[in-house]
This record gives sequence, C-alpha cells and structure tokens, in this order.
Amino acid sequence: MGKEYLGEFEELILTMVGILAEDSYGNAIVAEIKDRIGRDVNLSAVHVTLYRLEDKGLIKSHMGGATNARGGRRKRIFTITNAGLAMLRAMKEVRMDLWKLIPQLKIAGS
Amino acid sequence: MKEPLRDPPPIPLRFLEWFCPPALYEGIEGDLLEQFDMDIKAHGYKHARRRLVLNIFRFFRPGIILRNRFSFQLIDLIMFTNYLIVAYRNIRKSKAFSAINVCGLGIGLAACLLIFQFVSFELSYDKFNEKFDRTYRVTNDRYQNGKLIQHGTIMYPTIGPTMAKDYPEIEEYTRLMPGGELNVKVNDKNYRGDYCHFADEHFLAVFTFPLLAGNKTTALKDRFNIVLSEKTAKKYFGVTDGNYTDIIGKNLYWGLDVQPYTISGVCIDPPPNSHIQFEGLVSYSTLISAEEPHADNSWTWSDMRHYLVLKPGADYKTLESKFEAFSEKYFQGDKVSGSVEKFFLQPLKEAHLYSDYEYDIARTANGKAVWAMLIVALFILLIAWINYINLTTSRAIDRAKEVGLRKVMGAVKSQLIKQFIFESFLITVLAFVFAFILVITLQSSFNQIVNNKLSLTTIITSLSSGNILIVVAVIIACVILSGFYPAFILSSYQPAVVLKGKFQRSSRGHFLRKALVIFQFTASAALITGTIIVSRQLVYMNSADLGIDIHNTLIVQGPELSGYDSTFIQRAESYKHALLQVDGVVNAATSNNIPGNRLGRSFGIRLAEEPSSSHYTMSNMSVDYSFFDTYNVALLAGRKFLPTDHKVNFDDLNTVIINRNAVKLLGIDSVQNAVGKEIVWGGDGTRKWTIVGVVGDFHQESLKKPMEPMIFRPSYGANNPTSIRLKTADTQKVIADIEGIYKNFFPGNSFEYFFLRDSYQRQYNDDNRFGKVISIFTVLAIIISCLGLIGLSSYTAVQRTKEIGVRKVLGASIYSIVTLLSVDFMKLVCIAALLSLPIAYYSMQNWLQGYTYRITLSWMLFVMPVFVVLMIALFTISAQVLRAAMSNPADTLKYE
Repeated sequence: MGKEYLGEFEELILTMVGILAEDSYGNAIVAEIKDRIGRDVNLSAVHVTLYRLEDKGLIKSHMGGATNARGGRRKRIFTITNAGLAMLRAMKEVRMDLWKLIPQLKIAGS
Repeated sequence: MKEPLRDPPPIPLRFLEWFCPPALYEGIEGDLLEQFDMDIKAHGYKHARRRLVLNIFRFFRPGIILRNRFSFQLIDLIMFTNYLIVAYRNIRKSKAFSAINVCGLGIGLAACLLIFQFVSFELSYDKFNEKFDRTYRVTNDRYQNGKLIQHGTIMYPTIGPTMAKDYPEIEEYTRLMPGGELNVKVNDKNYRGDYCHFADEHFLAVFTFPLLAGNKTTALKDRFNIVLSEKTAKKYFGVTDGNYTDIIGKNLYWGLDVQPYTISGVCIDPPPNSHIQFEGLVSYSTLISAEEPHADNSWTWSDMRHYLVLKPGADYKTLESKFEAFSEKYFQGDKVSGSVEKFFLQPLKEAHLYSDYEYDIARTANGKAVWAMLIVALFILLIAWINYINLTTSRAIDRAKEVGLRKVMGAVKSQLIKQFIFESFLITVLAFVFAFILVITLQSSFNQIVNNKLSLTTIITSLSSGNILIVVAVIIACVILSGFYPAFILSSYQPAVVLKGKFQRSSRGHFLRKALVIFQFTASAALITGTIIVSRQLVYMNSADLGIDIHNTLIVQGPELSGYDSTFIQRAESYKHALLQVDGVVNAATSNNIPGNRLGRSFGIRLAEEPSSSHYTMSNMSVDYSFFDTYNVALLAGRKFLPTDHKVNFDDLNTVIINRNAVKLLGIDSVQNAVGKEIVWGGDGTRKWTIVGVVGDFHQESLKKPMEPMIFRPSYGANNPTSIRLKTADTQKVIADIEGIYKNFFPGNSFEYFFLRDSYQRQYNDDNRFGKVISIFTVLAIIISCLGLIGLSSYTAVQRTKEIGVRKVLGASIYSIVTLLSVDFMKLVCIAALLSLPIAYYSMQNWLQGYTYRITLSWMLFVMPVFVVLMIALFTISAQVLRAAMSNPADTLKYE
C-alpha cells in the first residue's frame, strides 16, 4: 500500500470514479452511491473529495462537451489513474489478508 | 400553457461565483443546476430552490474556498513589491512630511497606549474576585431633620446578618471592621506599620484571596485567630521557601492585649487592584464575647462594613427597593439610632471609581477623571490621524502623475485604493514602532506620575481575547479610514487631464481640510483652557487659608505600647514639656486625630434646654489644652481649654469647645451667646457639658469637603499622636532631639513621624495626578497640531511660490505677502479658538462641581488660551511663511 492513507469516503468515491468510467462527474457519483448502497451523500462533500483525490494524483479530470442540459454548463469528468487503480487494488488485498485471519467458526454462547 | 418559474435564483449563484475558484466554478455550477432541474421535476420549484441555496452554502467550506489562493497570490505579490518600492521612494523623497506623519502619529499612539495602560488598570479593580458580578457593598445614608448628615459605608453590625435572614436572594454576607494598626510582638520582636481588618468567617468566601496555608472556611471562625498576608508572614516569621504551613498555629501578641493571637492562615497579598487592602485579617468573633456582645447585636454602634453576595439572577435594584421597609421595621424612623437610616447597594465594580463615601476603606479614584483622560487620549490620537489625512490629501498633486500613469497602464480604481491604503498601513506600522519605543522609554517617568507599576506587557497579557479583538479591530478600522480618504481622492484623477500637465490644485477637499484644522485647534485650545483651570484650582487648594496652620508641623505617632492609667496625663504633660525645651520647637499638642483625616461623628447632640427628641450631628475631636495654640486656630468667643479642664477620669469631663458651624447648627444667634450654654452629649442622652468657647471653622479635610460642625472635648488618649510646631531652621537636628526625648519617655516604642503638610496634601494626590496628565496631554496635542500646521503651511507656501514671485515683481512688500499667507490659517485658528470656549466652559464647570471650595471662572481664564493658541499657530507658520515671502522672484520665476 502507498504511503498515502485513504479514508473510507475517499475510497468510496475513488471506487465510484472507477465504476462510472467516462461518465463520472459530481451528480452521477451522488446518484450512483444512492443507487448501489442506498447512502445519501452530499454533493459538496463529493466535490471536495474529488479535488483532494485529484491532488493526490489518484484521479484526473477534464471538461466534457457542452450540452443543452445543465444551463449549458460543461461537466467536469473524472477518470481514475493507474496510481488510483493500484491504490484500490492494494487496499482490497490488505483487507482480504486481514479477513482471512478472523476465525471463521464462532461457537454460540461463548 | 405558461411555463412555471424555472430560473435558478441569481443571488446565491453570484455568491457561489464569488467564493468559488474560477477553475472549478463551471463544473460545480453545472452539477448544481442539473440537481436543481431534477428537483423541480420531482418536488417543485420552491423545494428545488431551497435545496439549491442550501447546497450552495454547503460548498462554502474550506475544501473549496482555500483552493482560491494560488492563482491570486501570485498577482498580488508582484504588485505588492511594486507598492513597497514606490512607498519607500516616496518616504525618501519627502523626508520632512514622512517624519511629521510618523512622529505625529507615533506620539499620539504612545500617549494613547500609556493612558490605555492606566485606564485599563483602573477599570480592572476587583475583577479578580470570582463573585465579582454578584457582590455588592451595602451603603448607608443618614438623615436628621430632613437633611443628609452622613453618606457612608459604615453601619451597625446587625445589618448584614439581618438582611441575609430576611431576604432569601442573598447568598452570603460578610462584615468587617477596620482593625487599625497591627502592632505585634512575634518572638519578642516588635513590628509596626501594617494594617488589618476584623473579618468574619464568610470573608474569604465572598472575596477571592486564596489561602497559601490554612483552611478557608474555618480560618476566621474562632476568636483570636489571625490570617496573615504573604508579605507579613515573611516579615514576622522569616519564611523564605514559600512553605507557610509551619507557621499555622504559632502565636503573636497584638498591642497591649495579653491574649495571644493564633495564626490560622496565610493568604496571598491583596492585588494592587483590590479596593480592600490589608496585611492581616483578625477573626471578627474576637470582638464578640458574652460580656461584650455589641459587635454582634448592636443597633447603634456603627463601624462595620457589609458586603452581600446575591444569588445568580437576583436583581440588586429589586432588593434595594425593599430596604425602605427594612429600615422602617428595624429603625422605626429615627427612634433607634437617632437618625433616619437609608440603605443602598453598590455593585463591587463601582467601589473603586464611583465612591464618594465617608469612612470609606476602599482605595478610590475619581471615575470621571479616568474617563476624561481616556477621552483626551483618544482626542490626541484623532488629531494625529487627522494630520495624516490632511497632509496626504494636500500633497495629492505630487502623486497625480503616478496615478495617471498607472491608470494608463491599466490599473483600476480598486487597485489604486488598495495601494494607498497599503501605504497608510506602512506609515501606521512605522508610527507604531516609534510609539512602542516612546512608551518603553517613557514608562518609568509615567509610572512615577500615576504612582503605579504599569507595564505594557502585563496589560497585554491580562487582556481577554475579546478585548484584543476589539483593539485590533479599532486599529485596522483606523488604518483603513485614514488611508481611505486620500486613496479615494488620488484614485479618482482623470489620466488624460493629469498627464497633459494642465492639472491644477483642486479645490475639492478644501473644505474638509479646513474643518480638520479647526477641529485640531479647537481640541488644543480647549485642552489649554482645561489645563489652566485645573492648575489654578490645584494652586488654590494648596495655598488656600485653611483656618488652621499646617506648615512646619511634625506629627509624631503616639506610643503604641503605652496604656492609659491615672498617671498618664502627668506623663504626657512632662513629655510635652520636655519637647518644648528643644531648640526649634515652638509648641506641642496631643489630639486623637490630626488635620487631613475624617473625624468620627456624634449623632445625638442637643442643647440641654431642648426636648430630648431633637438630635444634631457633629464631628468630634479630643484635644489637649495646647491644641488650638499649636495649630493657630482663631478663638471667636469664650476661652480655650485650660489644664484644669482635663480630668483623669473620662466621666468627669464637663467642658467642650465648638466651632462656628456648630453654633449655627444649634440655632444660636451669635458665638458670644453660645458660651456658657449646656449641651447634652452621650451617656444615653443624660450627660451634660458646658460650652466654654467657640473657635473658627477650619478645613479639617480637603477643600473638596465642606467644613462641618465640630465639637472638641479636653481629653488625652494613650495612643494619640503629638503635633509639634517647629521653627523652620534645621529640622534634621530637631527631629533627632525629639526622638531622643520620645525614646526616653516611651522606651521600647518605635518612633514614627511625618510632616503634616505632606500627609494633608496627600488628599490631593488624585487631583495632582490628573493635573499632571492633562498638562502633558495638552503639550502633546499642541505639538501634534503644530506639526500638522507646519506641514500644511509649508506645502501651501510651495504651491504658491509662483504667485508670490509675480506679486513681488509687481511690487508687493514682504509684509503684505506674510499677511496674505498667514491670514488663511489664522482665520481657521480663530474659529477654532472661539469654538473651544463653550466646550471648555461646560466641561470645566462640570469638573469644578466636585470641589466644595473652588475658584470662580473669570473671563480671563478663557481669553488667555485663545491668545496662546493664536500665538503658537502664528509662530509655527511664521518660519515657512517668511521663507516664502523672502524668496527671490528671479529664482522662482526663471522657468516660466
């Protein structure tokens, strides 16, 4: 795992950026989180986290094409970088390793 | 069908645009608008709009706002360097102006800082007490025949406990009584000169004087217990390691008392900003015994001070309004104590600055004077700032080309304003540095004047964060305000006009500049008037005929270890006789009090021929037969005391002397008729005395106090001080001789003396201090105003150089040019001087109200300052004006 520590929310957002690929922008991420895990997150919190992840080099962003929706404003599209993917993978592995260490049989009443 | 409202509200979006970094703005706004559209479909417009506003505010968070910095800082830094360079060049280019600006502002700030120290100390009194907000002092006014006869803090010992019993809103009460001098013997060594109070066991709960050793709740409970202050504990027991527990339980002997007192605690020294000061506290219960319970239950003995702590939330005014019923219930008009009693509550926060009580143990100062000093200090600061504004605007033309060029290069108005405010900030910072240097160098002399140990660091560290914020806010506001006006003027120049070279001195700001000069000189002239009147009043008080001679009078404290017995009068007389043998001693007398001190009052005096229901109040004094001769008090009728009037047994005394005011009070038509009359005084309204003489009124206390009716009785007291009138000559040797005699007569007692005039003048310490501070400030105000005037006049002179040249060529004389140049300024100063008259008159009239005996305000006192101000102003501008007038037109006009 890298030297940067990733918080739970950061990891969630990073994962979502990975899932949504070319269509990941603020609102889409909020909606996706609501759909998939039923959690209400705040748009501003998502934005702040996205910018922080960008600072860390885990995602990068570009402006999408102009549309008629959104009052003509363009979307800021985020994509996951290789570093971001590596970070996600490393975190998953660490978690799996730890999971294996938990005794799987629990005796009731003890 | 008409489309329902769909547009997003513009103001919140503009707010978003304002704080959001431009790079992120589009993406964020887009997301918000998309959300908004979806919300309209799902919930309707109102709901959507509310959500949008809420969401925008959610974006107002550090994670977004702080992303602004990078882009802006770079631009600012470049321009900032440029501003700095330009400011530096400007300061160098016009050294005199910059020096005037920095000095003027610096002096003003320094004065303000010094006064701020002083004022914040005065306002900090008693705040260290934890129950400060809820603590009240009970005060007591007494009326006889409808007239106020005493306005004091002393009352009967029953007041505190009875009030606490009757009114549930009182959480705690404490009573105390001054215990006088602490003449103690510790391990066979005598100590003198410390003072103590008798205080009950609640005292340490009401006031916050933490104990360094001993138990707070029980230390003052038992009889013959004493709590020492840290200072006295060190002095008596030589404690050096700060461990005071060892001296708890040790004994000391007080005065002639054979009963030892037990040390039950050691408390911190009372802070200098405590209105109660003491070196020791003796348990109040010491005063109470089965045989002598008066200190606990008397309704006539009034030497006790009471403090109440109210329960949180209780309103003291409500409680105070119940005191009328209290007084009626326990005092039944004037039946119990001989006078009608009214009780009041004084919040602890007013005890130091707003007390005018008699028999006050509080350290007091004149609150009005403290505020007056603060106002004057702020005035000076204002004058200094006005100078800055005035000089900067008047010199605006010098900067006009720079402004024009900057505008051509693309500078917008807001940038120029920023630049000039930055410059004023720079000058202010320099002025602050200068002010701090001044304060540090002047601190010790200032401390001498105000007689205190003030320092900037203690004040700053003692400030609460709230106050610091206020101070910082005031400074920033001043910087912006002083920079704003010049910045506004400068930044509004039209580049086209300025750069063409046609730009002339604008008449705009003329009015303001004049108004500012008038304001400055009004303040200066008012201050001069004030100073003159204050110093006149001080001189008057110091030289007034007191009706009593206090010059060359040496006071020797009475022997602290001698007791009164049948041979005492004999001893005192031979002591006085021995003193008279000393070469240089004119006369000597003993009395229970000396001029300058508040005397005790007797409330139940009447003429023997009057019914027993009538009461008169007089101040009383016990004196020996040589008192009136020693003090040169005029005898108006009858005779002075004779040695035969003195009786060994106090109960045998039957002669009194009264003063003229007492004759008036008793309603006797002439002083001659008073002699021989009998009065009733003391002994529960049965004891009769014969008036043998009437003396003239004299100022027992300062001229702030009225002369009261007085009654004298011929008696000696074991610890009475001796007043010795000296010939001027060599006092050193005389004092040494007197000490020899004293030691001879009273071996083992300590010899303490002082000159009466010094102690009497101490009553004016507060006034002298005010006088000194106000005169210093006046000088400062004049200096600063003059600095401004120099700057302004030299600038006008330079502006009009060419005009003067032309005039001279056309034949104008130096005189006419001097008049031309000065008349403008002198007009302003004249207006200012006239404006100052009513201000000075009103405020000084107000100030003089505090003195019963005062100077009358004559018109000369007001004309003189006007004249002084005019002369100063004329002198100030004369150098500049003369130089301009004498200039050679050939030099000034050669480039035209």
